[in-house]
Amino acid sequence: MENSQTESNRENNGGFSSPVDSEHKATKLRIQSVAAPHMRAFHLSWISFFACFVSTFAAPPLIPLIRDNLDLTSTDIGNAGVAAVSGAVFARIVMGTLCDLFGPRVASAALMLLTTPAVYCSALANSPASFLLVRFFTGFSLSTFVSTQYWMSSMFSAPVVGTANGVAAGWGNLGGGATQLIMPYVFTLIHHIGATKFTAWRIAFFVPAVFQTLSAYSVFFLGQDLPDGDFAKLQKSGDKHKDKFSQVFYQAITNYRGWILALTYGYCFGVELTVDNIIAQYFYDRFHVNLHTAGIIAASFGLANLFSRPLGGYVSDVMATRYGMRGRLWTLFLVQILGGCLCVLLGRLGSLSTSVTVMLVFSVFVQASCGLTYGVVPFVSRRSLGVISGLIGGGGNVGAVLTQVVFFRGSRFKTETGITLMGVTIICCTLPMMFIYFPQWGGLFWGPSSKGITEENYYMSEWSKEEQEQGFHKASLKFANNSKGERGKRVASAPTPLEGTPESYGHV
Amino acid sequence: MAASTLLFVASILLSSFALSCNASGTFSALQKSILLTSSPKSGQVLKAGEANITVTWSFNKTYPAGTDSAYKTVKVKLCYAPISQKDRGWRKTKDELKKDRTCQHKIVKRDYKPESDSVTWTVERDIPTATYFVRAYVFNAEEKEVAYGQSTNDGKKTNLFEVEAITGRHVSLDIASACFSVFSIVSLAGFFYLEKRKANASQQK
Repeated sequence: MENSQTESNRENNGGFSSPVDSEHKATKLRIQSVAAPHMRAFHLSWISFFACFVSTFAAPPLIPLIRDNLDLTSTDIGNAGVAAVSGAVFARIVMGTLCDLFGPRVASAALMLLTTPAVYCSALANSPASFLLVRFFTGFSLSTFVSTQYWMSSMFSAPVVGTANGVAAGWGNLGGGATQLIMPYVFTLIHHIGATKFTAWRIAFFVPAVFQTLSAYSVFFLGQDLPDGDFAKLQKSGDKHKDKFSQVFYQAITNYRGWILALTYGYCFGVELTVDNIIAQYFYDRFHVNLHTAGIIAASFGLANLFSRPLGGYVSDVMATRYGMRGRLWTLFLVQILGGCLCVLLGRLGSLSTSVTVMLVFSVFVQASCGLTYGVVPFVSRRSLGVISGLIGGGGNVGAVLTQVVFFRGSRFKTETGITLMGVTIICCTLPMMFIYFPQWGGLFWGPSSKGITEENYYMSEWSKEEQEQGFHKASLKFANNSKGERGKRVASAPTPLEGTPESYGHV
Repeated sequence: MAASTLLFVASILLSSFALSCNASGTFSALQKSILLTSSPKSGQVLKAGEANITVTWSFNKTYPAGTDSAYKTVKVKLCYAPISQKDRGWRKTKDELKKDRTCQHKIVKRDYKPESDSVTWTVERDIPTATYFVRAYVFNAEEKEVAYGQSTNDGKKTNLFEVEAITGRHVSLDIASACFSVFSIVSLAGFFYLEKRKANASQQK
């Protein structure tokens, strides 16, 4: 009987329905399951992130109506597009901090509920300025990316963390493509029921708004921060140390790897956001397809996220089992540079069919790079996982803002030249990856440190001697032990916790 | 032999393309043989959904008789003035008629009559706020533009009028947005309270 099978599974897995490691993180990603806490957290994160993407990009497919209703110019539309992605730059860093301090469940539910008013009030916009403001504040919801990655990194163990991060983020990003199909359909339905065009698009915005609200409620009531419980409960019972914001923040910003990854992420995810904004227009203007066809091409770029970002995360995990962290880094480096080359090529093609083909291949490479990046991120810091994830995620949005402002605003460059130059920038901004070095595992061109620095040394260096004496670092210690697989040999995670704390070698 | 046949066929195809290019029409190739007047005075503001426009058009008799022998149908359209096209690429004027986006709103389609014809049209509710003029295109039996007439001058500077669109907003929508927004914030406060209570309860256990 299925019940006894699940019961015996639970006994084998220490009370969990998935197999777990010493931190009780799941070591397998079972997508067909919704069992608490791991798989339920997985489904809640990707669905809520999907809802936020739908809200943030709900306006673009309806622009032909909104621009007539609000008397917008091309400049107004461009500015609103930049505003939609720039709000999240700061919000992602804030979200990272909130995750470290309060846990992903409360942080993401709170942020979603705080931004739904902006989506509801999109129905009230009556000028270019008010339109820009609602897009700006709605864009803050894209910071749920950080809580998604944080939650997955807390629930899933090193061998599957890349895959979990990649699938959750990829399926969430799908929202950006799905909305290009959903919103016009909802609008047409409402228009047919009897509303005039200029009222129907306003009513249509209630759909993403309600979806986002319901997602927030689900996360709050059905989710759980960590495999062993929620932050608040664990903090009060003393099982989890309530960390100090200043220390968490300091450890994050002084870790140079976070800054390099923020730059490289700006040129995979930032490029993805830019392309989402400009590609329909590009095909419409250069190849004279009609608006509908251009919209479908734009949607397919976003919909490739169904498999390409998860593929990146999965490949990262596969490379790690054989080659460790160096495998993760090399794969990211090569895939992103190849993506840049494809982008250079895309701008130089003059025929519709080859352009669409190259665009689709380019989308796979650029989205896989995003997945590969977040295969590395969970290992950069344990104490400040949230802020680091937020910094890097924010870097993605900065890349989008910069790229759009420099290459795709006004008439300085033709769009195809802008695309080629964007490709060159991708290649140049991926090169700094050469400087990322983990002393315990190595970097692109160097192996692990000959001083014998271990995972424990690296993660303990985030805690001061006094903090270690009070035992605040215990969770980091477990994580360090579980991350030994990143050495690239088949090292199984220890099932029981270690005794004692090794000496720290100072901040490495 | 095969090569010369190929060349022959190619030149036939190319010349027929050239012919069809001319026939697909540019605006500058059209005859301005229609006289058209519209009722709004220069600078008048019309409310969408309420105001009326009366358009009257007729064949300009100063053109030689027989010029209008091919004229079959007339389409009268509401067109954007240059000021409403500025920084709005989707309303751009192009000489090639297939790509021209100046006149996007149809007023009426009628059979061509050499004597005067007119229509009174209520400005529809989905006409956007902008500055406009009226233009009539005349089509031949093959549905190709052959002539036109407009209510403004060649530079599209005189006799322009404005339409004020509906906002699309309703009081009920405003109230619904406000209620849902307030409810979101209030429920968030409720969640924080619940969280605190749960944490305290587990501490007491």
